[in-house]
Amino acid sequence: MPELLHRKLERTAIGFVLAIIVAASVGGIVEIAPLFTIDETVENADDMRLYTPLELAGRNIYIREGCYACHSQMIRTLRDDVERYGPFSLAVESRYDHPMLWGSKRTGPDLARVGGKYSDFWHVAHLTNPRDVVPESNMPAYPWLARTPLRLDDLGSHLRTQRSVGVPYTDEMIDNAARDAFGQAVPDSQQASGVTERYGEETQVSAFDGVTTRVTEMDALVAYLQVLGRLTKAAYRNTAAPEQPPNPND
Amino acid sequence: MGQLTTRERELAAAILVALAVVGIAMAAAGRADPLGVHGAIVLLYSMVLLFLIMSTSFGPAPDPSRVSRYYDDPIKVGVAFTLFWAIFGMFFGVWAAAQLAWPSLNFDTAWASFGRIRPAHTTGVIFGFGGNALISTSFHVVQRTSRARLPDQLSPWFVLFGYNLFCILAVTGYFIGVTQSKEYAEAEWYADLWLVIVWVTYFVLYIRTLARRREPHIYVANWYYMAFILVVAILHIINNLTIPVSLGHAKSYTIWAGVQDSMVQWWYGHNAVAFFLTAGFLAMLYYYLPKRAERPIFSYRLSILSFWGITFFYMWAGSHHLHYTALPHWVQNLGMTFSVMLLVPSWASAGNALLTLNGAWHKVRDDATLRFIMMAAFFYGLSTFEGSFLAVRPVNSLSHYTDWTVGHVHAGALGWVALITYGSLYTLVPAIWKRERMYSAALVEVHFWLAFAGTVIYVFAMWNSGIIQGLMWRTYTEEGTLSYSFVDSLLAMYPYYIARAFGGLLFLIGAVVATYNIWMTVRGVPVAGGERHDDIPLAGPLPEGAATRPAE
Amino acid sequence: MDLTHETLVEAAKTWGLFYLIGFSLCVLVYTFWPANRERFDRAKRNILDEDDQPWT
Repeated sequence: MPELLHRKLERTAIGFVLAIIVAASVGGIVEIAPLFTIDETVENADDMRLYTPLELAGRNIYIREGCYACHSQMIRTLRDDVERYGPFSLAVESRYDHPMLWGSKRTGPDLARVGGKYSDFWHVAHLTNPRDVVPESNMPAYPWLARTPLRLDDLGSHLRTQRSVGVPYTDEMIDNAARDAFGQAVPDSQQASGVTERYGEETQVSAFDGVTTRVTEMDALVAYLQVLGRLTKAAYRNTAAPEQPPNPND
Repeated sequence: MGQLTTRERELAAAILVALAVVGIAMAAAGRADPLGVHGAIVLLYSMVLLFLIMSTSFGPAPDPSRVSRYYDDPIKVGVAFTLFWAIFGMFFGVWAAAQLAWPSLNFDTAWASFGRIRPAHTTGVIFGFGGNALISTSFHVVQRTSRARLPDQLSPWFVLFGYNLFCILAVTGYFIGVTQSKEYAEAEWYADLWLVIVWVTYFVLYIRTLARRREPHIYVANWYYMAFILVVAILHIINNLTIPVSLGHAKSYTIWAGVQDSMVQWWYGHNAVAFFLTAGFLAMLYYYLPKRAERPIFSYRLSILSFWGITFFYMWAGSHHLHYTALPHWVQNLGMTFSVMLLVPSWASAGNALLTLNGAWHKVRDDATLRFIMMAAFFYGLSTFEGSFLAVRPVNSLSHYTDWTVGHVHAGALGWVALITYGSLYTLVPAIWKRERMYSAALVEVHFWLAFAGTVIYVFAMWNSGIIQGLMWRTYTEEGTLSYSFVDSLLAMYPYYIARAFGGLLFLIGAVVATYNIWMTVRGVPVAGGERHDDIPLAGPLPEGAATRPAE
Repeated sequence: MDLTHETLVEAAKTWGLFYLIGFSLCVLVYTFWPANRERFDRAKRNILDEDDQPWT
């Protein structure tokens, strides 16, 4: 008898567990499941290009330094957001972002369209010591970025992993990842032309940190900041915004 | 660990040796990668624990009468972890807050820059402080309410030390640049995998204890702990589905992209608040409040209704973090609706707690510990109201991205989570160490006022700065152009950032006072006779009609 | 089976609602089922039985 009772009690605990799972999972399933088919509703962007290996490395530095804690990359459909930062962000623009960096806090301004708004030189000075260019700023200084060489040898495996989660990098891109990262930061090198061949004419090839002899983390981060909002022009086409994307050559 | 049997010691040693091997493998595979550093930490951690196990293994065999008592040793160590992580996490919080006012306080070092110590603060406080408090109190509550001892002596230690290894890996990772960038889920893939193992053990341990219970009904506090354990497991696994760059890399890429990732992340993020920072701490409320007030809960039925309400509604609310973004509109609306409905079960819980105290307000006046719990229920009601309010789309258009959100989170984290935890600790510590009372009631009183003042200063500073910031961003001149540049709004924030750091500092000092008080309590003299005869599990098979008999 | 975005959204909006109502009904019935009153009252009082309090 006690044995039987014991079993019954155990069952109630298990039944209880099941009830919690049933109650709690449905909200998530109902909200998230339809997003699996979100591709059908995401706007089309034929001109969408992928992050170059250098930009991807810069993105990883942006993540490593926790930039997302103070900077959003999501312009909302609000008038003041649009007038301050540019056309509101479209879902397609972060289609290849693993993970997304939409952010949740603006201790500093939104960066979704910061690409091309400032010169490379400005970014380097700003990252080295923000208060040299914006005296009121409370952003940390990142002087070590310009001192630290960028790790190039494993960029191929980064691209391969990105492909395994759904980003359409080609074999050629993966094989040339390290070369392309070098070439994008050293415009005079022979590797430079391959970057624009593989990633498009719009790709910015530049000595981002002003030093052409080596590729630093500063090069990568500035390259990433300069491409923000410029992977596709879809946001400028599909909205009423009269603005043109900023062009650093202007 | 003195009560471990030889068999349990052998098992523990085997597990630790296996863990050490994993550490060596990680160090070898990672080399210069941060993964290598973490391999060394895993190795060191397991070696220290192995040394502890070995050094006591030649002691006398454990007392056979131990099975007639509750197993409280892991709880004691858990309380120590809780207090340590509280000071650690809050110290980094104050430091991070100070850096926003005086940016040079990172001394231009990489590891101490804001972006790296901010996750150290959030992880230290949420998972270090909150998680250890939840694990320790859950071991206490589940044994007492089930009137059964934990089923074995090894798995509680595994859960406790395993969980703290996860916390250590997470926090040290941020300093050396390892993060997934998913807020409140920053730890990388190997730490996440380890947490899954720990969590499954925790779940099995909890279920086994419940299965041994002598009370036919599962007390409602256990429901909340169960929901906490279960749902956190679901959230953790789904949000952390990633593919590592290689087995030698700490870095991984999440399988979710863009808009999907944002929804998964905030579905996780909001439910981490719901099931980590709410459900688990409501469990504390439903046990320690009646115990401390010596009054039964006002309405048991109401506690059941609010349990299912919270479990059900919260899961829909996450998308309110993404108003006006590229997330589909209907998902935003769904999130907003359920966030508003969530107010009903939330206020039912807060009201239930406050009504329990109705008629015992003299106790609240005289007993600072009970006042901690009362004030926690009050702040719970306040921040859940604020939460539903901020989830309304037009309100959110003003508050989102500003310090208002930060103020809201801290009204919950300081006012609710930390206050209920300290109220519970002040009830729990004298009970499990068999002390007459806390070392100093005056220091509990001091802590209460430090914590309360700190919370109020912090929250008011952030309300002010958040609303000012939000309004400045959307103010237009008569010509129809934006009135303020971003830098203008930043300049207006500095006084509030200083006030916020000061409020946080008060709270941190309170945590130090609490740690000292608890330390002195532990060092004090136990009650004569060792233990109360009535604080033991019921033994033997359940006799006929035992359920209606009061416990002995 | 044609699993488009629209069908999923529709299911979420309709079945989700029915599910919510059904679930609430079950919880309400369980909570107010007369036979359960006794066990709830006992659970409410029982945790106070054993003295785990600081002895002030």
